[in-house]
Amino acid sequence: MSPAATPGRSSDPHAGRANPAATPPQDRTVLRMINVVKRFGLFEALKGVDFDLRAGEVHALLGENGAGKSTLMKILAGVQPATSGVMTVGGQEVAFGGVADAQAHGVAMVYQELALAVDLSVAENLFLGQLAPFVSHRRLAERAEPLLAKVGLDVPPLARLGSLAVGEQQLVEIARALGHQRRILVFDEPTAALSSGETERLFELIRKLREDGVAIVYISHRLEEVFALADRVTVLRDGAHVMTGAVADLTPDDVVRAMVGRDVVRFEREPSVRQGAEPFRFDYHGDGLDPGQLELLPGEIVGVAGVVGSGRNKLLSTLFGVGGAAWLNGRAVRSPADAISQGMFLVPEDRKLTGLVLELSVQANLSMAILDRLTRAGLFIDHQAEAAEARRWIERLHLRPPEPKKRVGDLSGGNQQKVVVGKALATGPKVLLLDEPTRGVDVGARSEIYGVIDELAREGMGLIVASSDTEELVGLCDRVLVYRHGRVAVELHRPLDDKEVVAHVTGARQVA
Amino acid sequence: MLLAQGRWRELLARFGLLLALVVMVIVLASISDRFLTTSNIINVLRQISVNAIIAFGMTVVIIGAGIDLSVGSLLALVGVIAALMVTTTSLPVWLVLLLAVLIGTALGAINGAFVGFAGVAPFIVTLAGLTIFRGATLVATDGRPVSGLPPVFTTIGYGTFLGIPLPIWIMLGVLLLTYVLLRHTALGRAVYAVGGNPEAARLSGIPVRRILTFTYAFSGFAVAIAAIVLTGRLNSAQPTAGVAFELDAIAAVVVGGTSLAGGRGGVWGTLVGALIIGVINNGMNLMNVSSFYQQIVKGGVILAALLIDRALSRRTS
Repeated sequence: MSPAATPGRSSDPHAGRANPAATPPQDRTVLRMINVVKRFGLFEALKGVDFDLRAGEVHALLGENGAGKSTLMKILAGVQPATSGVMTVGGQEVAFGGVADAQAHGVAMVYQELALAVDLSVAENLFLGQLAPFVSHRRLAERAEPLLAKVGLDVPPLARLGSLAVGEQQLVEIARALGHQRRILVFDEPTAALSSGETERLFELIRKLREDGVAIVYISHRLEEVFALADRVTVLRDGAHVMTGAVADLTPDDVVRAMVGRDVVRFEREPSVRQGAEPFRFDYHGDGLDPGQLELLPGEIVGVAGVVGSGRNKLLSTLFGVGGAAWLNGRAVRSPADAISQGMFLVPEDRKLTGLVLELSVQANLSMAILDRLTRAGLFIDHQAEAAEARRWIERLHLRPPEPKKRVGDLSGGNQQKVVVGKALATGPKVLLLDEPTRGVDVGARSEIYGVIDELAREGMGLIVASSDTEELVGLCDRVLVYRHGRVAVELHRPLDDKEVVAHVTGARQVA
Repeated sequence: MLLAQGRWRELLARFGLLLALVVMVIVLASISDRFLTTSNIINVLRQISVNAIIAFGMTVVIIGAGIDLSVGSLLALVGVIAALMVTTTSLPVWLVLLLAVLIGTALGAINGAFVGFAGVAPFIVTLAGLTIFRGATLVATDGRPVSGLPPVFTTIGYGTFLGIPLPIWIMLGVLLLTYVLLRHTALGRAVYAVGGNPEAARLSGIPVRRILTFTYAFSGFAVAIAAIVLTGRLNSAQPTAGVAFELDAIAAVVVGGTSLAGGRGGVWGTLVGALIIGVINNGMNLMNVSSFYQQIVKGGVILAALLIDRALSRRTS
């Protein structure tokens, strides 16, 4: 374990320079995380993970959604504490009490979603949190210039942040992270919102930082980026460390193999596609989504895969009449209300943000989309009919507790998701669009939701399931459309294979 | 044990307000023997009627996650329009009253359209409404009260039915109407949904913009009725009537437990809220507390109500 045990193997060009007492010359490790465990209640998000990081390397951290990447990095950045385990930075054991604590140790994180104030100037954003009571804009601008130069961003320091392109804003965020002599920088899917030109600029910057000796963790779902940029790769799966290796010794297929293959029992179903039936034909185009067509047969389950920003997230909302433009069998879908009247319903990605009215009861949420059908004289709610409708879906979806009057916000995640599904089914849709139908749902509720999806397909409904969970798509779907850069890159058919789906989603096929 | 605690909290959250009112009444009754007399109780109810009617409309707006600051000015405008119509035209009084209600509703709907369809912040829209309606009132009357009204108005203001003043009956009527709207119609349910989560409502096919517009139209409707009652009480239309009435209405709604964040609350709470404010005013009058101090006490009660509501509604999930 001691780094001094292998003195002869060092090929480190800076070996003679460092102070041998502080850091042994052959060891450039700046961060060690040993046997890190993180529990949320009964759920073990990290099951004893080891991770190390060297100065002057880009270390890619890979794994499917829920593998534990973000949890691990949040512990590193001081966002949340570990349940147990040891962390050393620069050879010194640390336990961060907060983000500021981590920053004081030279650790900073660049988040996927920009955490900036759009109405403040670039310079003010750079020094947010360290502004003096009276701000001299001229002095602020002077201090900002070297930082902006470092990230190669040529904008006036006093420009309003919101006037910058997304890629430029990202550079501001990085410049801010660089603000105080960072030793460790974590990038969490930094290219999700960037154009290819902006991505290239970002890579140049990351390479420059590496030359300067900064230790960089790079989280991404895009393997071509990893192979273009990283020196080493660590793969997590289900909260456990699977492998760490030098990129030079690995192929994309090796990485994909390490990423997939969960130990849980997979859901399997018999296909129920009604061949020869009249298909639902969608035409669509939208922001970040190239014009395209999609045909769906009754009884068919079509999966939609792709990384963030690939079009996966955009497709379903576009088909449902939110943003972009869509047609079902040649008829325009003008709004969600119009989509519902044409026999569609969307179970959105984020149930709390867009799926439910948390303050209202289970019953009120279940009946929300069919209230016009439950009224007398088109005005007064028929409370008995509403209660009967609610009972029906509570029973069919095994909602627990089976209490129609309970406030939806007080249910567990899995049961909340069942309410969203119930609301959708109450409208009697012919086509059901499901966006991440089991995100944040416990195992029991998950298999129940799969069971319902299977039943619906059997009854002749057409379903489109967008998911970042490959196992889910492979288990449920008759075919999977993999989106890349706003269009279908490949269409995969039964028998579906996890590795193949992941290889296409991450772009490993393009790298190999 | 946990469940029992939850029940307690729920009960407190539900009836805590009523409890506060009862405690207040008991305290005042023990201090002043004039307080708990039939005539004083009727007095309190009549005093709160105008504010309560406005507050019922305001409740609907606030459940829809909005706010209506224009109610006081609209009250004056509708009162003046009704008075001018009745004194300068030969329209029958019943038609004038009907037109007044329609005009109030329409002006509220214009507020609502700016919020719902143009997407302007409710605070800004109704602040503009506040000054525009007041200005229009002053222009229409040249700043002078309109008097010489037919006796129908004094009947509305001072008449009784079964021994109870008509303003109280009218208040109860608007209360019942608002209650039925919120609890028993699809429209009312949609207001809760839109106020609680507009995006979820939209994805459920609810016409969010139209619902928002409706809430302000309903507020305008309630204000118009309040305007008629007030004009009757004063037996004239005052262009300066209703100044700062929006604050009393919002206070009644908020003290009544309706959440300013939208999606939660109801009209019974607002009635209790208006009663609490009315009882405080009445009690302090009976005790000869200076009206200057009364304002400070009222503000304190509003703050206390908000803090208590916050503590009770903080749910552990």
